[in-house]
Amino acid sequence: MATVRVPTALRTFTAGASDVDVTGATVRDVLAELDGKHPGIAAKILDGSGAVRPFIRIYVGPDDIGSLAGLDTPVAARDEISIIPAIAGG
Amino acid sequence: MRVVIVGAGGLGGPIALALARAPVELTIVDPDRVELSNLHRQVQFSDADVGAAKATRLAARVGGVGIVGRWTAPDQALAGDLIVDASDDPATKFAIADHAVATRRPYVIASALRYGGNVMVGAPGAACYRCLFEDVPDEVPSCAAAGVLGPVVGVIGGLAAALALRLVANDRRDAGSIYVVDDARVDHAPRVVRFARRAGCTCRSS
Repeated sequence: MATVRVPTALRTFTAGASDVDVTGATVRDVLAELDGKHPGIAAKILDGSGAVRPFIRIYVGPDDIGSLAGLDTPVAARDEISIIPAIAGG
Repeated sequence: MRVVIVGAGGLGGPIALALARAPVELTIVDPDRVELSNLHRQVQFSDADVGAAKATRLAARVGGVGIVGRWTAPDQALAGDLIVDASDDPATKFAIADHAVATRRPYVIASALRYGGNVMVGAPGAACYRCLFEDVPDEVPSCAAAGVLGPVVGVIGGLAAALALRLVANDRRDAGSIYVVDDARVDHAPRVVRFARRAGCTCRSS
């Protein structure tokens, strides 16, 4: 089972949980699964056309999905999917 | 070397204090005044500082120059040899990164929110802040709106200062990396993500 690391800015959707276990085969599947468990969170990550918002990066392990197959990047069991948003607090 | 710290608040405080004895000249820029609600995380200030300009109070503590105002790219007084962003404004972070890329300066962008934060390091030739986050977010919570746990700014600010000191020593191994602390209450080491230059990014023409 893979794990999504939820950034603090989005933990209001996950009742504070920092990690969510998922079984999706691609990043797209994982985000749909994540939204099924925590409705509304995907809209903060994807825009209306379904693309990753420009101020958010998604990594599978150490790799930016932008340099792989984007949302179709495969996800394997034990992979860690990191969602890194731009944050502004100082 | 002249280091400009943009922001004298939660992150700017620990960054400035950590760099105070380094062989650098510090310039600290911030338009704000100390408020009572700042004191839980901006430990560089005391109750007696409430109402005072943050930039000049912090600069006085660390032997630097304080400028009360917003950072603006064309102002050479605010350029510095190294720019460390500790602001709470996304547009300022992007403007600092753009300016640093255009003028081929190293830079550090630090952010903290709630229980975590991140620090990005940039230098000429490496992936830039826009390679990572393409554009200014249209909605992003600030510390004032979403809160930040007091010690988090110490963790993130200390990390930003350590990475800035590497740049001061001309050690650019971290350029094109972002250090991420998801939750400082449980994460005792940052996750380091190195990212590549993005095709089509404006930094490729600089």
